[in-house]
Amino acid sequence: MRKTFAPLEALRWTFFVLVVVVFNFPLLFTAATSLKTTPQITAKVWLFAPTLEHYLKIFTDRSLDFPRYLLNSISISLGGTLIAVAVTLPAAYAIVRFGLGRGNLLPLITNLRAVPLIIFAIPFYLMFQTVGLLDTRTGLAIIAAVINVPLALILLVGFIQDFPPEIEEAARVDGAGTLGVFRHIIVPLAIPVLVAVSILSFIYSWNEYLFGLILTTKNAIPVTVGSALFITSWGVRWGEIAAAMTVSALPPLVLGMFGYRYLARALVAGAVKG
Amino acid sequence: MRLSEQRIPQVRPRWKRLEPAVWLLVAPLLLFLLLTLGFPLLANLFYSLTDLSFRNLRSPDLTGFGNFASALRDPVFWGGLGFSLRFALAATFFEVLLGLLMALAFQPILERHRPLLALLLLPMMVAPALLGTMYRLILNDFIGVVPDLAQRLGLFVNFLTPPLVVPTLVAIEVLQWTPFALLILYTALQAIPGELHEAAKVDGANSWQQLRFVTLPLLVPALAITALIRFIDSFRVFDHIMVLTGGGPGTSTTSISIYIYLQFFRNDELGTAIAASLFLLLLALVPLFISMRVALREWGRA
Repeated sequence: MRKTFAPLEALRWTFFVLVVVVFNFPLLFTAATSLKTTPQITAKVWLFAPTLEHYLKIFTDRSLDFPRYLLNSISISLGGTLIAVAVTLPAAYAIVRFGLGRGNLLPLITNLRAVPLIIFAIPFYLMFQTVGLLDTRTGLAIIAAVINVPLALILLVGFIQDFPPEIEEAARVDGAGTLGVFRHIIVPLAIPVLVAVSILSFIYSWNEYLFGLILTTKNAIPVTVGSALFITSWGVRWGEIAAAMTVSALPPLVLGMFGYRYLARALVAGAVKG
Repeated sequence: MRLSEQRIPQVRPRWKRLEPAVWLLVAPLLLFLLLTLGFPLLANLFYSLTDLSFRNLRSPDLTGFGNFASALRDPVFWGGLGFSLRFALAATFFEVLLGLLMALAFQPILERHRPLLALLLLPMMVAPALLGTMYRLILNDFIGVVPDLAQRLGLFVNFLTPPLVVPTLVAIEVLQWTPFALLILYTALQAIPGELHEAAKVDGANSWQQLRFVTLPLLVPALAITALIRFIDSFRVFDHIMVLTGGGPGTSTTSISIYIYLQFFRNDELGTAIAASLFLLLLALVPLFISMRVALREWGRA
């Protein structure tokens, strides 16, 4: 039995390895480039002794501004995640337990992804210009929150639906009001869920490019915009570009390892069950 | 008495009976959305009727519907819509097809070694702008491996000029997002009860017949939702095209998102850009409506 299936299994694994290599080729190539010396890069060698000189360069050379881009992306993503969670958690609770907005608000928000973001780019630019939020991390954190609200709400509604209502009822019998129940029962219960939501929200915020491009000029440039800038402003310093991109791609990759399970759940949102 | 008791909930909307504290819970989200989505939308509507430009940002004059007319008369606007449509159709087709093939082919491997799934999902974790820039390295004439390999095969081609630029951009989109299709379709595959295959086997179905008459019909909802999500996302494509071609050469890769961006930030045609974005919003209402119907059914059932 086993013997007859061996060729098929071998084929399956070969195909699998091939697909993994092809799909991840840009990551492998960029990481490899970042570890080569400049002559090795232009000679296109396949085997080489890795060097960290480009990494040292992007973090120490003050003219490159890379540490600032990194810091911007970190604070924008954290801020955006925090705002998104803060506004969606209480709303998710109200939607699940009291049915407020279940028939209109919930489907509207969860489907905002259908609206191309560029539609909001121009009014945001004008609005931010008026209130002085252009080229600030605060401004981009607000954008990140807008982008993450739908996903956070889908996930939180899904999870709160699974909470047993008995605990809340017990608290109510003890005299707690709605807000009390929310603060003392729901928020602590939701912490593991919030970790999952935050991971995904952080990834999405980190990867945002359009608004970073439109709304920043210098101070608040995130890594997605900054790394692309390197190509023109750094000329042929491929090693530094590759190192900067490797560092920039790493946080979402690492978080994604933990977050992809929830991602499937969020993206599908019940559609697969049907 | 009993009759009226039953009637009251039907006559009065449910939300009117809610205590104020519940509204307090929803208030932050409502306020946030009004400020960040409602207000910009109204601003868009207003500005679309003005002669707004970077010279009179604070005091534009009302001019009527001229912006809409000039957007509709601009061949690049229609070109952008056409590009986005063709780009999204092509990318969606290949992503769903490859995702399905991979989900079917790799299911036995992934069920035994679940962590390996993460290896297949890595591309979709990377920012599209970053991934685009990485492909720019790969496709670069000096250091890239792809032109190098092509030259060794005697092909002297540029992947970022016509006729290859559009296929290249579609291919990059497909290479980044096929993992998404794979993830949803694999999840759906796993949800199919094994007994169904057993039953089909007992009835004498071979593996092809099992696939054709058991697996595929059950995957239809997942295939549809994958295609819908991918089409919507690809239609608004911006990031990797921006870093790779900036919409060029000429207007050959100008998607509708890039068109609006260029009209606004390069050509100082703010009014046209806003009018075009409102047309785009109208178009977006179609998939929004479809997916709201789907979502309503899902949430309603839950």
